[in-house]
Amino acid sequence: MESIVPQLMANSIIAGGIYALVALGFNLIYGATKFFNLTHGVIAAIGGYTVFYITKKNDSLASFFNQSIGGTVFAVLIGVLCAALVGYLLDKFLYKKLRDRKASPMVFLVASLGAFTCLQAFLAILFTSQFQTLGGGAGDIVTYTIFGGIITEVQAIVIVSVVVIMLVLGIFLKKSLFGKSVEAISDDEHVAKIVGIHTEKIISIVFVIGSAIAGLAGILVGYDTGLEPTMGMGLLLKGVIASIIGGIGNVYGGVLGAFLLGFVENFGIWKISGEWKDAIAFGLLIVFLIVRPQGILKR
Amino acid sequence: MHTLQTKHLTKHFDTVKAITDLSISFEPGKITGVIGPNGSGKSTFINTLTGLTPITSGSIGVAEKVELTSIVSNDMPVYGITRTFQEVRLFEQMSVLDNILVVTTCRGWFKSIFEKHSAYHLAIAEKVLKRVGIWQFHNKLAVNLSYGQRKLLEIARVLAMSEIGKAQVIFFDEPYAGLFPEMVKLVSEIMKELRSEGKTVILVEHNMDLIRELSDKVIVLDSGTLLAEGNANHVLSRKDVVEAYLGE
Repeated sequence: MESIVPQLMANSIIAGGIYALVALGFNLIYGATKFFNLTHGVIAAIGGYTVFYITKKNDSLASFFNQSIGGTVFAVLIGVLCAALVGYLLDKFLYKKLRDRKASPMVFLVASLGAFTCLQAFLAILFTSQFQTLGGGAGDIVTYTIFGGIITEVQAIVIVSVVVIMLVLGIFLKKSLFGKSVEAISDDEHVAKIVGIHTEKIISIVFVIGSAIAGLAGILVGYDTGLEPTMGMGLLLKGVIASIIGGIGNVYGGVLGAFLLGFVENFGIWKISGEWKDAIAFGLLIVFLIVRPQGILKR
Repeated sequence: MHTLQTKHLTKHFDTVKAITDLSISFEPGKITGVIGPNGSGKSTFINTLTGLTPITSGSIGVAEKVELTSIVSNDMPVYGITRTFQEVRLFEQMSVLDNILVVTTCRGWFKSIFEKHSAYHLAIAEKVLKRVGIWQFHNKLAVNLSYGQRKLLEIARVLAMSEIGKAQVIFFDEPYAGLFPEMVKLVSEIMKELRSEGKTVILVEHNMDLIRELSDKVIVLDSGTLLAEGNANHVLSRKDVVEAYLGE
């Protein structure tokens, strides 16, 4: 009998990859603004549904974008840009107003929950609550076997995307003046202002970058498993758990936490029902909150 | 040369009158000591002038050119105003060197994506960190410095702002608290240097010996109003000041 372990490992890495993409953007925004941006989850869904609209729902656009692989890449790019735009607009018209009024973190949380609910409802109205998929039929799926585990082409793209984005983002934040400014804002926004750092512009860019990454996560989930308007909350919660156990505000910590979560979840349900997956994830979170609340890596 | 003036400056927190109708002028090339008992409104006064707390009414005049009825933190470098804090505020998770470099090199957000620190900026950082005597810790995280070193790093940040021309008016909020005698001497020397460079220096301090030694003018606040202003020795010998400040 073949061992199930290679496939469990592959599943763990794939799940970790998706959570890592969400955690990367979430951590970046949290690092600069210090609030739990719940809209991050629905922005991922917006990225996915944008690609769904231009490649599946709208026939005239679909005929253009589905012509070649280049068209698909272009569609993904539009989805990512659309998610980035929504993130930018949310910051400009909601979160910036709250920052100007020196709103408490609780106000930010409630406001982002409200925006999340509105945008999720908007997606359900536009696209119905029915499950949709971005990919082709089961026969079109390209798979690879690595160390005995099977992964699809989309799942391989997820892994490559996580590695590339993590390295580019990590180096950019560490080496650039922009990254230093983000770090300064994260440490003390008021002092950052009085020494001349353009805090509002930098926070806007952080929202754009973080939301773009969330959008990519939503698109890849759409190609891998499918889309539904409520997918944002599930993605967000896993991304938040990954961020907390990895070290909130730390780009590398979020990725580390995501893969740990992926492994614990998938190996946790080896011998028991898959229904336990979320319970295991939140159990891991609780253990970390008690034993190591600062996460694996400090900011 | 920068002056700073307040005209009928008032700050009320609901029913609490923190500052009422303060009209004060700070002159360049002078150190103005601001004293007053606890709760007299000193911190609120600084916070309103540095954008931390919005003004209820009145105005702030900067360099006899700009009349502001509100000031936000982002505007402070534009008007050449900077400050230190009673409770030191640093970029804790950054190195000592980066705490200064992020000040000297910050400019347009777009340029910040592509630009790096130049030798010029590094030279400024090295100069100010050596001036306050903490260059040897430049690779250490700010959070790991001792209390005195943290105070000195905050003063180095002010000096860096001054070097790049973004600090003409400087508020020092109890800079001597918790410092060793040799550090006190160093900070006093720095303040005198800033005065000789024509900066407008405002010193909030409880140590009367230091106020006498450094201040060209002293302002006494009591219950958010101006109780007295003038020459240090003269003001500090006034009976009403002694009564208000020392409770005698």
